[in-house]
Amino acid sequence: MFDMLLQGAGLVASLSTLALVGAGLIIGLLVGALPGLGPLMGIILLLPYAITFPPVQAMGFLIAIYVGGSCGGAISAILLRIPGTPLAAATLFDGYPMAQNGRAADAIGIAISASALGGAFGGLILILFSPSLAAFAAGFGPPEYALLAITGLTAIAAVSDQSMLKGLIAGTAGLLLATAGTDEFTAAERFTFGLFELSDGFNIVAIVVGLFAISEMSNLLTGDDLLERPNLAIARPGFRTVMLVLTRWPNLLRSSTIGACVGALPGAGGVISSFTAYAVAKTFAKSEERYGEGAEGGIVASESANNATAGGALVPTLALGIPGDAATAVLIGVLLILGIFPGPTLFAQHSDIVGGIFLVYMLANIALFVVGILMTPLFVYVLRLRKVVLIPTVLLMCAIGTYAVGSSVFDLWVMFAFGLVGLVLRAGGYPLAPMVIGVILGPLLENNVRRTLLLSHDGLRIFVERPVSATLLFINVALLLCVAFFTLRRLFAERQSALVEEKA
Amino acid sequence: MNFKSIFAASVLATSLIGVPAMAEYPDRTIESILPAGAGPALSVSQIIADAMGKELGVPMTVLATPGAGGIKAFQTALQKPGDGYTIIDGYVAPLVLQPILKKAEWNFDDFIPLHAAASNAFAIGWRTDETRWSNFEEMMAWGKANPGKLRYSSGQRNNLPHLVMAKVLQSYQVVAQNVPYKSPPAANNDVKSGILDFAFVNVGNYKQDPDALKIGLVLSEQASAKAAFGGAPSIADIDADLGISGLAPMGWDWWLVKKDTPPERVETLRAAMGKAMKDPDVRAKIERIGFVPLDWDHTEYDKIVSGVRDQLSTMADAIKWEEDALKALK
Repeated sequence: MFDMLLQGAGLVASLSTLALVGAGLIIGLLVGALPGLGPLMGIILLLPYAITFPPVQAMGFLIAIYVGGSCGGAISAILLRIPGTPLAAATLFDGYPMAQNGRAADAIGIAISASALGGAFGGLILILFSPSLAAFAAGFGPPEYALLAITGLTAIAAVSDQSMLKGLIAGTAGLLLATAGTDEFTAAERFTFGLFELSDGFNIVAIVVGLFAISEMSNLLTGDDLLERPNLAIARPGFRTVMLVLTRWPNLLRSSTIGACVGALPGAGGVISSFTAYAVAKTFAKSEERYGEGAEGGIVASESANNATAGGALVPTLALGIPGDAATAVLIGVLLILGIFPGPTLFAQHSDIVGGIFLVYMLANIALFVVGILMTPLFVYVLRLRKVVLIPTVLLMCAIGTYAVGSSVFDLWVMFAFGLVGLVLRAGGYPLAPMVIGVILGPLLENNVRRTLLLSHDGLRIFVERPVSATLLFINVALLLCVAFFTLRRLFAERQSALVEEKA
Repeated sequence: MNFKSIFAASVLATSLIGVPAMAEYPDRTIESILPAGAGPALSVSQIIADAMGKELGVPMTVLATPGAGGIKAFQTALQKPGDGYTIIDGYVAPLVLQPILKKAEWNFDDFIPLHAAASNAFAIGWRTDETRWSNFEEMMAWGKANPGKLRYSSGQRNNLPHLVMAKVLQSYQVVAQNVPYKSPPAANNDVKSGILDFAFVNVGNYKQDPDALKIGLVLSEQASAKAAFGGAPSIADIDADLGISGLAPMGWDWWLVKKDTPPERVETLRAAMGKAMKDPDVRAKIERIGFVPLDWDHTEYDKIVSGVRDQLSTMADAIKWEEDALKALK
């Protein structure tokens, strides 16, 4: 292992690699923060430029975009209540209230520190456990993915505070929305209304941007302070935010582990890991931490998880040649263009390149911390913009970002329509995040349940016969029991305190 | 200066900027729309696009548009103007197979060909520690003795590997259950872990990890395909006549533009692509991924593609046969 890293160090140690990683991070933070664009889009846009470099430098540049992009979405989530990427949808629960309480710089600082530390933790897992984690991931088949999707769905309970029922309704609506498109199993079109643009279903970016951004901007429009310059004192963010994160080390380690493990599973991804980590953190939290109202731990959980996912996703990518998510699929493509085949042969034949990629990933996370903290004042400046400038600018960015994903005008209409849906949901007090969870987990759940039934010739025993699947089933049952227990306990406590107040 | 003269000056200025821009094609990014997601095919398209972009002096990007067996990409491209700034990466499935399956309304001669791009062979692979059979004929014998028990994946449904594999199974009268997967590597992983019995392996994925699966049968009789899969047995080595030859059982693409594209722009693109495909560096890069660069220019398009269409048409009932046979078993 150390030989590999030592050989790789020779490929990494150059000024141009450092410059490329730095440039990649800044691009990543920007594409992440702009609603619509995300790490995947950043990587695709810069791919033609990256392939002009040697493999390790090209990967350093693109991995830095990946790392920066996985964190950048938090910035707009915290400042504007708009997740720049679906990855940051769980960050806004606590990030936005924290910013509203005048702690925007701290919130961003925590998000960046947690991302960097979570990402570095994911990197350590990548370096130390790559082969065994790849073997663990290889044992995941359709029954396990189906149960994992259910684990993800339990996060809905954690993110629908006001009303569990409304959360479940929004989540179910998300699951239903995910059924639109071509059915993988019969090749039949479902709910496409003859529109070819819907043949691959709704674009998730258009849904997220519409639900959060359009409805949030419409909300801002109703205020009577459009022309006023917000009188905010911009606190200087400091490197001390890292201490705020480190004091929550159990949360950080737990969330990063969830992130890295989910990342190692091809097809899962950062959205599932950030919501799951958030839900777990909230379950373990003390009630005085007030999750959902600006708890630092909430940001730590979701941001460390989604960046650790990036490290985890590199495990099957490099060790097996199986992409962990869409962004790593493009990274594989870049390696192929450069004449390098990721997979076991890469470890045997080009251990220097593997070592180099491990190192640039770690370097990108360390640099994320420095570059991110230094750039924070620039981001926080957004809060001082007058709404009359801010609203059209954000809407324009949303439109550009959503259009860029598939060069599709139809996606802009989808975004607009979901903006209206978002407005209606907000007016009725329905949480928006469960819908996103539903849309993302819907295909994972449906396709894997159906695949499992085809494989087992319609038997259900396969779910308990396979050890990993049985374990996941047990965890799911335990999680549901926990949710029921904590909900009942809270209701009971509320009733008790109401009774005490009445008596008083 | 009154308003009228400002207007006149601005019209003049616009026309001065506009004239040279109109005269010189291309003057902005050209997009090639690929009917697939990220994977080896995207890498091959990117290599060709980069070389063409250098010839043309403008950037060329590849827009990966997966969905609906490639139909979404074609429809997306057809919505764009035929101005030479959109190229359709005409992969065989949406170009020939989907119209045969009545899933698409176009015909291959509804497009103007630029040049053939690359072909890639498919193979059937099973787990390396498989004990039930040691070669393809034995697997077919096992499948015949256990109807409906074999579970395989061709990646997505109704794609070219599905048609070819169903045709092979039909030739042996073996009824097997096709389990669709969105990504071929995930299916290969499930073969490795023993959930699936066999799956199609594309040459790009094979090259990434040659020892992951045992390659049991290369679905092409061409020597280059056999060599690409490390000399594994191919359909030329088995006794049965499957009625598939040439390009028919393989993946290939031909870059196309819409019918109403101005002829001089078509010529510019053809010249650039022809040059790119002859570039030894481009060819070496494509071959390294396991694909075979194709030499045919536009003059051979009709003959070659119609030949493939005729062969695939005769195979089209294989998928239907598979569905009916499975239903009959239940």
